[in-house]
Parts: sequence; C-alpha cells; structure tokens
Amino acid sequence: MGQTMIEKLFSRHNLQGQQVRAGDFLDARIDGAMCHYQFMDVHKLAIDAGFKEGFPRIWDVERFFLLVDHHQPALAQNYADENVKMRREAARLGVKYFHDAEPGIAHQMMTDYGYVRPGELVVGNDSHTIAYGALNAGSSGITRADMMYALLFGELWFQVPETIKIVLNGRAPNYPIAKDIILYLAGKYGDDFAQNMSLEFTGSLVPGLDMDGRLCLSTSGVEVAAKFALFPFDEKTKAHVDTRTDKPYEPLIADPDATYVREIVVNVDEMPFVIAKPHQFGNVCPINEAGGIKIDQAQIGACTNGRYEDIEIAARMLRGRKVARGVRFLISPSSQQVYLQCLKDGLIAQLIESGAQVVTPGCGICQPKVGYLADGEVCITATTRNFKGRKGSLNSDIYLAGPLSVTAAAVAGKIVDPREVFDEL
Amino acid sequence: MSYDLSQMIRGRVWKFGDSVDTDAINPYYLYSTMEELKQHTMESYRPEFPKEVKPGDIIVAGRNFGCGSHRPGLVLKEVGIAAIVVESASRLFLRNNIALPLPIFVVPGIGGVIEDGETLELDYPNGKAINAATGASVAFRKYPPMIEQIFACGGLPALARQRYLSETQGKGVA
Repeated sequence: MGQTMIEKLFSRHNLQGQQVRAGDFLDARIDGAMCHYQFMDVHKLAIDAGFKEGFPRIWDVERFFLLVDHHQPALAQNYADENVKMRREAARLGVKYFHDAEPGIAHQMMTDYGYVRPGELVVGNDSHTIAYGALNAGSSGITRADMMYALLFGELWFQVPETIKIVLNGRAPNYPIAKDIILYLAGKYGDDFAQNMSLEFTGSLVPGLDMDGRLCLSTSGVEVAAKFALFPFDEKTKAHVDTRTDKPYEPLIADPDATYVREIVVNVDEMPFVIAKPHQFGNVCPINEAGGIKIDQAQIGACTNGRYEDIEIAARMLRGRKVARGVRFLISPSSQQVYLQCLKDGLIAQLIESGAQVVTPGCGICQPKVGYLADGEVCITATTRNFKGRKGSLNSDIYLAGPLSVTAAAVAGKIVDPREVFDEL
Repeated sequence: MSYDLSQMIRGRVWKFGDSVDTDAINPYYLYSTMEELKQHTMESYRPEFPKEVKPGDIIVAGRNFGCGSHRPGLVLKEVGIAAIVVESASRLFLRNNIALPLPIFVVPGIGGVIEDGETLELDYPNGKAINAATGASVAFRKYPPMIEQIFACGGLPALARQRYLSETQGKGVA
C-alpha cells in the first residue's frame, strides 16, 4: 500500500525502524531544531525540571538554529535583558548557528540561509514553523516543553497525521495569489478543516507558484490547523535549496496509490479576491462584500507576507500613485536578505515616494509592537492573524487580505476590489 | 510532580464557543507578567472570566480550542482551571497541555450535555464526561500509553529529566 509524503517522512525517521501509517504514534529522530527568543523559556523549563545550571547539553550543535527573531531589535527593556542572558547561554552551550544581532523572522532566515533541506524533519518553538513544507521538508511547530525534550535527545513523540490533498488548478496571475488561496480555503472549509492533519499541495498551478508563494501557503497551513503543509519537490525547490546548501538530502515523493482522507480541488482562475473579517481567520467573504469600509492602517509583512513578491506588488502598484491621506501603510520585509533585494531593485524608494513607511524586518508588524491600533480603528493587513486585540485595542478591527488587496485599500483609503483601483490588472 | 489521570474531576463549567485563540487565553502581546495575564485571560470572549473564575472550575469549549500560536495555556492552570474539555483542540494547545500537564479531554458532543454554570464530572478511567445534575453523559477516548506516561511523570520536562539522569548515571555527567 502506498504512502503519503508524511507517512514516508515518519517511516524514515522512526526510531523503531519500521514503516508507520497515519494514526500511529512514534518516537521520531529530529533533523533540525529552530528556537527563537523563547529559548530562554525553554531554558527556564529545564531549570524548573531540576537542571540547576540550565540545559546540560544540546544534542547536536550542527542541527540547532537559534535566531533572536521577535526580539531583535529589542522593543522593550525586558527583551534587551533577556537577549543578554540568551547570548550567555548560547556561548555556554557552544551554539554554532546563532543569529543574535540580525533582525528578521526566523522562518524566512531558516530558508535564506539553507538551514532546511527537503525530506528533513524540522521542529521549532513557533506555530509558523510549518513554513518549510514549501521546501518539501516535514516541519512543524512544537511547544516549549517539547523543545526541551528535543534539544536534549534529538527525538520527539508524534502521531502520524492523515493527509488532505489540495489540488490547485489554474494559471498563476501577475500578482501574488497565495494569501487569497488560503483565505478562500478557510472560508469555504472552516478554520480547522485540516485539524492535526498534513496538507499536500498539487495541481497545475503549483509549478507556476514561486517559492515566495509556496512559503506563504505552507506557513498559513497552521491557520487552518494543519500539522504539516507540504509541496512536491521540483526544479524550483532544487534551485532554491542547491544555491544555499551543499548538504545532501532525499526529497519526499508521495506514492501514486497513497491514501488521502480528503481531496479538495480549487480552480484559482475562478476564485474571487477574498478577505477575512474580524476576528477569526475563517470569517471570509468576497472582498466586495466588505467594500467601502474606511481604513486607518494597511500592512504587508510577517512570516506569511513579508517576502519579495509581496513587497514587489505593493511597489509596482504604487508607481504613479499615492497612499490615501491619513492612512498609515506599514511594510516590513521578512528578513535582511529580502530587504536588501528590495533595496537593490528600487522597491523601497518607490514605496517611500508613494507615502508608505518601511519598518525593520521582524515579527512586530503582526503584533501590537509595531503599529498599535486605537479604539475604533480599522486595519487591513497581509500578515498572519486577525484575532481580537492582536494589534492593540480590543475595540479595533483587523481584516486579513492578500498584498494586492491591501495596497488597493491603502490607495483608496477603504476596502475595495483591487480591480477597481488598478485598471492595469 | 506526577499527575494522576485516574482521579475524578468535578467542577463548575465555563462554556466557550469555537476557535478560541491563544491571544485571548494568553494575551502576551499586551501583558508581560503572569499577574497581569491572570487579570486578562479570556476577557476578549468573556470579560467576567478573569474576575470570577475559581480554582477547580472547568472550561468547556467548541472546536479548535487554542488555535493560533504555540504559547501554552499556563495562565489557565495558574487561575486554577482543573480541566479543559473540548469538541476539538488545536494540536499545539493539546501538546502544551499534555506537557504541562493540565488535563485536556477531546470529547465530541460535550456541548450537547452541559451548559454554562452547570457541574461536570470527568471520569477518565471509564472515558466518560457526565453532567452531575442531569446524569447525561458522553464518552471519550483515552490517551495512548506514550501520553499517559507523560501525565504520570508530571509533564514532559520531568520526563526529560528522568530520562537524562537514567542515561547519564555512572558516566560522570551531572
């Protein structure tokens, strides 16, 4: 009987050696572990469990990646203080891959620097660690306590998930489409339709989706409750990975007779522009149903939408246009590498000339930290989540949409179908 | 400290809907200390919750409880919640509660047998959640032995410590 990608991955990583199937529990070997600033919380768990000096060891420093992420630059005094402690612990444990003075989002940097390879099992203490499925890796968020166990032994318990096949058909348009796809899926099938399951993306659209779009879709997998969100290995994956790492890898390929619990087919050519209304990811409608709502803030950034294609579309659409008077349009590249490429290509100058503000790479734009909302304010954002209070006031409204729709709203000063603003589309 | 899954849990129910998010449970972005978190947990859904919750109370919720980030619901343990009973849970929230440990039971159909403010009894050995007033009950599946062992050890950090000591004993490593 055939195996899905994730059944193959866990069969290869099963410490007991034998093949496993969806539903089986196992102890699995870990290929890579990513920690961000919460490494210090993991460290504290170790102390509380009786390790007086903190972690006694990292199981393999070649497989551990520590990135300060959320807390670089330090946006509060306690972050700065924690960062000092983290440097001390990293030095004591001999951490080799430590990005402590570089702003940016861990999930983008992990892929920028070639720390993840196809076929690997990679865990991280952040829910969006599911991102690396775009690279054909089995990656998933784990908890702080799980991380403590994983860092000591290089092993962790898992249940092999069932898999939903997502068939994406149609042609890639000349603007990013990934955010609209995941919002459309959440709206149609619910914000937990993939609860505890693995997603496999396939279909005629996939070869046309660049790595930026794939990373957006995989990262957003957690917003529909998925455990893994995998893309097939192809020429684009190979080009991305081989320019960043020399280490060998073995891609995951699903068997033709693998068993799927469900198959969902989406024709993106017929998909409308969509938007998630406050305060849940699955509260989705076609964008024109929310049309006319005045906005105070527009945003593009975060681990889902701070990549080159997200910023490029904003710059392209703003050429010859201005952000509406009184609207704050915040853009945060997801890493220094992304930021640099945008600078070299003139995108940042275009954004600033048109009235947008570009902020330091990092997670702050997706939290209150960068750009708090006041009572009664409305924000449209291409970031991860629209939970109540996530951008400050419990009495503010957050709408989620793709970067094209966000840019259109920034120009119009209100939520609008982007085709009404950008006649070149 | 070990956790005994076989003990009966009985408590007053706080009922919530679907997709309660971790930003609501643990509004870390707005409040940094545990004392502050205790004063604001769940307020975006029910403002009275942090003021009126009592040790021993039980949370009953709909599907996808604890969606969002990987942040643990430690604050719910701190305010004295004895158990969380849900139609379904986000996998990271589930993992967190197993690791803490704070008993969490996935009980499809729970919303149909209990209302807010009523008393719920949880009988893990027999896999039953029972409305104390009406006697109405609904069955749930037990955890596999691998997970029961984590509860028995008092959580995953304790299990890790125990394994580390057993593997390094006599090898001159502290």
